[in-house]
Amino acid sequence: MYPMSAVATVFAVSCTRRPDTGVGTLQREQNLNRFLAEVEKRALRIAQISVRDRDEALDLVQNAMIKLARKYSDRGQQEWTPLFYRILQNGVRDWHRRQIVKNRVMIFVGRGKNEDAGYDVIAAAADSAGRAPDEQLQNNEAMESLEQAIRGLPARQREAFMLRMFEGMDVAATALAMACSEGSVKTHYSRAVHSLRETLGEHWQ
Amino acid sequence: MNGKNDTQDANADAAFAERSKALFEQSVAALDAQTLSRLNRSRQKALSTMDSTVIGFSRRTQWLPAAGVAAVALLAVTIWYTRVPTDEMEPAPIADLELLMAEDSFEMLQELEFYSWMNFDRESDAAAGSDSDVG
Repeated sequence: MYPMSAVATVFAVSCTRRPDTGVGTLQREQNLNRFLAEVEKRALRIAQISVRDRDEALDLVQNAMIKLARKYSDRGQQEWTPLFYRILQNGVRDWHRRQIVKNRVMIFVGRGKNEDAGYDVIAAAADSAGRAPDEQLQNNEAMESLEQAIRGLPARQREAFMLRMFEGMDVAATALAMACSEGSVKTHYSRAVHSLRETLGEHWQ
Repeated sequence: MNGKNDTQDANADAAFAERSKALFEQSVAALDAQTLSRLNRSRQKALSTMDSTVIGFSRRTQWLPAAGVAAVALLAVTIWYTRVPTDEMEPAPIADLELLMAEDSFEMLQELEFYSWMNFDRESDAAAGSDSDVG
């Protein structure tokens, strides 16, 4: 007789299971699209400051988008920002590791190159707001100095500074994105700000 | 004195933060059309990946409960129609054991020499009969 009771149980479970409606999925897709459209530009700039290459930064942002969409799109929307930036920061770290290995190999075979070669500040930041050329140039130079100073920071300080300052994330979300405690975020951020101010000097502002 | 220094430091931090944020936002606003287009394509690609995994998974799995019900029902019907009354047939190992342990078999084993002689006697009689037929 037990098979019949099993049938009844499975049937009851299948009847009470809420089907995944297409409307819910469409809504989630629209929300994710809105979220990604909102963060993608700042994420690209943050990645670009870290890796100094726009194409590489674009690849890293795309990979972060794909991973978020694949694995975490069913999470609550308030989790998306820290998750997205955690994926992106992991990607940046992996990229740096690969670069270190690549540079060692290139040096070993005698083909090491200067990292500064081919980087054009002006070409990398075209102005679309109609500012005067001298003001634009001054801002570009100031931004380039800031980027250089940021790149000189230890990795964790750099992450904390960019997520808090550029992305505007609060301490809790930054801690989630960096997979560390809120106290660590505060320490990293504070040290980063003081280090940057010292590096850039008072005339920078 | 310390309080004044702290205030100056906090003001300097705030000014630094404001300037940094403004510069960063300007650089974001200055992204060129080609880069924005690539970002847009990346976003669409990510969303299409979500289609092929999350939605695809849900579409594949939404038939599982129905398939489970069908499989269990089929199993139940199969068991119901193919079962045989248990008192008509006993398991073979038990039947063999009972055959071996039957009282007759045990007696036969005890008088094995007698049965052997009887068998030999029958064969001798048969051989004698066949010889007489030849003659």
